[in-house]
Amino acid sequence: MEIFLQQIVNGLAIGSIYALVAIGYTMVYGVMKLINFAHGDLVALAAYVGLTVLMQAFGMHLSNLWAVILMFTVTAMFISLFGIILERLAYRPLRKAPRLSAVVSALGASLAIENGIMLIWGPNIKVFPSNIFPSTRWHISGVVINSTQIAILLLSIILMIALYIFINRTKIGTAIRASAIDQDAAKLMGINVNGIIIAIFALGSFLGSIGGLFIGIYYRELYFQMGWIYGLNAFIAAIIGGIGNIPGAMLGGMLLGIFNVLIAGYVSNTWSEALTFALLIIILIIKPTGILGERVAEKV
Amino acid sequence: MKLKNLLWVVVSLIFVLSFSSSYAAGVIKIGVQAPITGPFANEGQGIDNAVKMLVEQQNAKGGLLGKKLEVVTCDDEGTAVGGAICARKLVNDGVIAVIGTYSSTPAESAEPIYARAGVLQTSDATADSLTKHGYWTFFRNSCPNSAEATFTADFLVKKMHFKRIVVLSDYSTYSSDLADATVAALKKIGGNVIYKGKIQAGSQNFTPILTKIKAMNPDVIYFSGYYTDGGLIRAQQVALGIKAAFVGGDSNDNPEFFKLAGKSANGVYMINVPRPDILPYPLAKEFLRDYQAKYHMMPPSIWTLFNADGLRAIMYAIEKTKTTDTKKLAAFLHNLKNFPGITGPITFTKDGERAGSRFMAYEIYNNNQYKVVYKED
Amino acid sequence: MRKNLVWYILFFTIAVIYPHFVDPSWVDIGTTFALYSVVALSQDIVLGKAGMFDMGHATFFGIGAYTAAILNTVYNIPIIYTIPIAIALSALFGIIISWPIIHLRGDYLLVATIGFNIIFYQALQNNLFGLTGGPNGIFGIGAPVIFGINISSQRAIYYFAWFILLITMLIIYNIDKSKLGRAFHYLRESEIAAESFGVNKRFYKVLAFALGAGVASLAGVIFAVQYAAVSPETFNFTQSVLFFTIVIVGGPSSIPGILLGTFVMFVVPQFFREFATARYFVFGIAMILTMILRPQGIWPAKFGKLPKYLTKES
Repeated sequence: MEIFLQQIVNGLAIGSIYALVAIGYTMVYGVMKLINFAHGDLVALAAYVGLTVLMQAFGMHLSNLWAVILMFTVTAMFISLFGIILERLAYRPLRKAPRLSAVVSALGASLAIENGIMLIWGPNIKVFPSNIFPSTRWHISGVVINSTQIAILLLSIILMIALYIFINRTKIGTAIRASAIDQDAAKLMGINVNGIIIAIFALGSFLGSIGGLFIGIYYRELYFQMGWIYGLNAFIAAIIGGIGNIPGAMLGGMLLGIFNVLIAGYVSNTWSEALTFALLIIILIIKPTGILGERVAEKV
Repeated sequence: MKLKNLLWVVVSLIFVLSFSSSYAAGVIKIGVQAPITGPFANEGQGIDNAVKMLVEQQNAKGGLLGKKLEVVTCDDEGTAVGGAICARKLVNDGVIAVIGTYSSTPAESAEPIYARAGVLQTSDATADSLTKHGYWTFFRNSCPNSAEATFTADFLVKKMHFKRIVVLSDYSTYSSDLADATVAALKKIGGNVIYKGKIQAGSQNFTPILTKIKAMNPDVIYFSGYYTDGGLIRAQQVALGIKAAFVGGDSNDNPEFFKLAGKSANGVYMINVPRPDILPYPLAKEFLRDYQAKYHMMPPSIWTLFNADGLRAIMYAIEKTKTTDTKKLAAFLHNLKNFPGITGPITFTKDGERAGSRFMAYEIYNNNQYKVVYKED
Repeated sequence: MRKNLVWYILFFTIAVIYPHFVDPSWVDIGTTFALYSVVALSQDIVLGKAGMFDMGHATFFGIGAYTAAILNTVYNIPIIYTIPIAIALSALFGIIISWPIIHLRGDYLLVATIGFNIIFYQALQNNLFGLTGGPNGIFGIGAPVIFGINISSQRAIYYFAWFILLITMLIIYNIDKSKLGRAFHYLRESEIAAESFGVNKRFYKVLAFALGAGVASLAGVIFAVQYAAVSPETFNFTQSVLFFTIVIVGGPSSIPGILLGTFVMFVVPQFFREFATARYFVFGIAMILTMILRPQGIWPAKFGKLPKYLTKES
C-alpha cells in the first residue's frame, strides 16, 4: 500500500508538469487545428533560459528567493514573447495553407530550436543548482513526500484554476472558446481572431515555460533534446483528455503521470512506453475524442 | 517547370565534382568519424575536440615524420547510413586513419569500407561483433565489457558481500551489454541478482522503477549506464529513502554526476580504470587540463579519453615505424604492449581488441573526495 | 504524358551514368536516395493518394529490413527469397495495424500511427522473441544473388536499388491509372460521395495501408543488404517524421515532387557534413521557409489531383 501511494504521489508531481505543457498543445489545437510540434522544445528552451537567468541573478548576489522570482518572471516573459514570434513567423503565413504544411513548419521549428539550444548552450548536460528551493522531506506512514513536489503540485493547480476562470469568466476567454468552436463565426461576431491566436500562443508558452522551469527545479538536469520526451508525453496527455479541451488537458496530464508510474511500477518497466502508447491507441479506438472531448459532428 | 528537374541534377553534379578530393603532399590526414549532431552530439563533439587538440599539440612539436597532421571530420549522426557515407568520404579524402565513431551501429557499417581501403579505424564502440569480422584495420580503444563485469561482480560479492543485488542499465548497446555481462559474472560466483531492469536514458523520472525496487529491499543498486541518468537515479533513490548502496559503472564517473546527485553522491561506489589523479603518470591530468583550458569544459565522458588514446597509439606507431603505410602500422599496433595511455596501459590483441585494463573501485566521501576501496591484484 | 516520359528517361539515364562520375560516398548517397524515395512513394500511397495522415511509416520499412535480416542470418534463407516473405508480412501488418484505427479522423490517425512506430521500436530494443538482437541489431546479412550475379559490390547494390525505384514508380503510375487510383481519389475528395458510388471505404483504406506497407518493406530488404546490418534507431519515430516531411515538402501525390522532396530532405544535408554543428539549425529554418514559400510542396501535383486537405481553405 505504501508503495502504491508512493507511486501515486510521484505520478502526480510529473503529471502536473505534463498538464501544464499539455495545455499549450490543446489550446493551439483547439483554435488552429495545428499540432504544434515545437511546443516541447519551447519548454526545454524555458529551462535553459531560466538557468541562465538564475546564474546571472546569483552573480548579482541576489538572495535565493529573489533570484527564483526573477527567474520565473524573466523566463515566462521571454518564452511567451518567443511563442508569439514563433506563431508570427512560422505559422501565421501558413494559416490558409494546407494543414500538413503547418505541421511540417512546426517540425522545422522544433529542429531549429533544439539545435539552436545546442549551439548556444553546448551539447553537454547543464545542471540546476540544488539549493534554490529549501528541500524538506516528510515521511508520512512510509510515503516520502518532498517540499518541491508539493510546491509544483500546488503551483500547477493554482495556475490551472486561474486559467480555467480566465477561459470561462472573462471576455477574452469567451472569445478564445468561440474561436475554438468556429473561427469564421467568431470573426463575424467581431472577434479579432488574430489577437486570440496571439493570446493562446502567449498563454500556452507561458504555462509551458513554467513547466520547463519545474523540470529544471525538480530533476535539475537539462539536455538539448529533452523537449521531445516532455512534448510527446504532454501531447499524449492532451489527446487522452480530449484535444482542444482545456480541463481535459489538465486531467489527461495527471492521469498520464499516474498511468506512467503504475505501468512502470506494476506491469513492465522495459515495455512502459509501448504500453503507454497501446493505451493511447485503445482510447482512440474506443473514444476518439478523448475523455472530456466533445464529439464533433463530421461536416457533410 | 520540368526544367527544374534537370537543373537540380546539374546543380548536384557540380556540387559532387567540386567535392572530389584534393590531395596535398606533405600532410598526414587523420579522419574523425563522430556523431556531431543528433542524440549523441555531446560525445561526438567531445571526440572531435580531443582529436583536434592532440593534433594541434603534435603539430606544434613539428608534426610527424616532418609532415603536418590534418584533421578531416565527418558527422555520421550515429546512424548506419551516416557511418557508411562518412567512411567512403573519409577514404576518398585520403585519410590514413580514422578516430571514432562513438556508437556501434555506424562503426559496424563503416568497418568493411575502411578494411577494403586499408584505412586504420579506432573506435570506442563496444559491440562484440566489431572485432569478430577479422578486419586487420580495426582497433577497439575501449576496454572490453567482460573485464569490467568480472571485476564488478567480484567487488559486489567478494568484497562488499551484498546479498540482494539490483542491476539497472539503459537501452544503449554498451550499457545493456555491460549489465548482461555483469549479471552473468555475478551468477558465476553465486551472486544473488533479485532484479534486472532497464531505464530509458534521458527520461529523468526514475521514481516508478525505484519505488518498485524499494519494495524488494535490495542492499545494492548497480547501474551500468551514463552519469546523465546515474546522477539522477542516485538523487531520486536517496529522496525515496532507499537505503541500498549505489555502484556506478565507468560511465558514471564524471564531475556532472556529483552535480546531479548533490549530497547524495556521498557513499557512492564507482567502478573505473585508475582515475587520472592517482595514475602513476601525468598524461591524463595533462590531457584534462589542456582540454579544459582549450574548450572551457570537461570532456563529456570517458569515451572521449578512450578515443584520444586511440589517436595517441596511432601517432606513436607512425613515429616508431617511420611510415604511413597502414599495413606496417597495423602490424606494429597488433604487437603494441603497455603503451602508456590516458585510460591506462594500451595493449592490442591480434584481432584488434584492447586487452583488459586494471579496474578499481572508489568510494565517494565528503563531497567529491575519492578513496580506493578495492582493486585487482 | 509523352513529355513526362522523356523527362523520366533522362532522369534514369543520368542515374545510370552517375556512379561513374562521383566518388564512392556519393554512390552510397545515390543508393540511399533511391531507397528513401521508394519508402516516401509508398508513404505517399497512404498520405497523399488515400489522404490518411500516417506518421509511422518507418515501421513498415523496418519490418522489411528485420524480416530479411532474421530470415537470412538465423534461418539461412537467401535474401532473394526473403523479399516476397517480407512484403507479405509487412502488408499483413499494415492490414492488422490499420484495421481498428482506419475510421479515425486525420490527426487522431496520425497519433495512432506514431504510437505503432514507438511500440515497434521498443519491441526491437527489447529483443522481441530473442530474434531482433536488441539495441545492437543484427549483423552479417548476406547479399542477394540474381541470375548468378552476386549483388554485393557498391555499384551492384546501387543499380539494384534504382531498379527497385523504377518498379515502384511503375506500380504507383499504374495505381493512378487504375480503378484503385480512382477509388483513392474519390475517398480523398469526399468519403460520403465515394461510399454512395459503392466504394467500400474501409476496404480501400486498409488496402492503401497494405500496399504502402508492402512497398516500404521492399526498400527495407535492400537497405538491410546495403549495410549488411540493421539496428533499431534506423526505424524510429524520427525516421517516420523524415518520410512524412519528404512527402509534404516535395508535394503529395506527385512522383517528381516526392523525388525532389527526398533530394531536399536527405541529399542536401549531405553537402554540409563538414559544417556539422549548425547544420540542422539552418535546416529547420529552411523547412519553415520552404513551407511558407511553397505551401503545396515544392512540386505539387497537377490541379484536380490534389487531396482535399490540400486545397480546402480552413
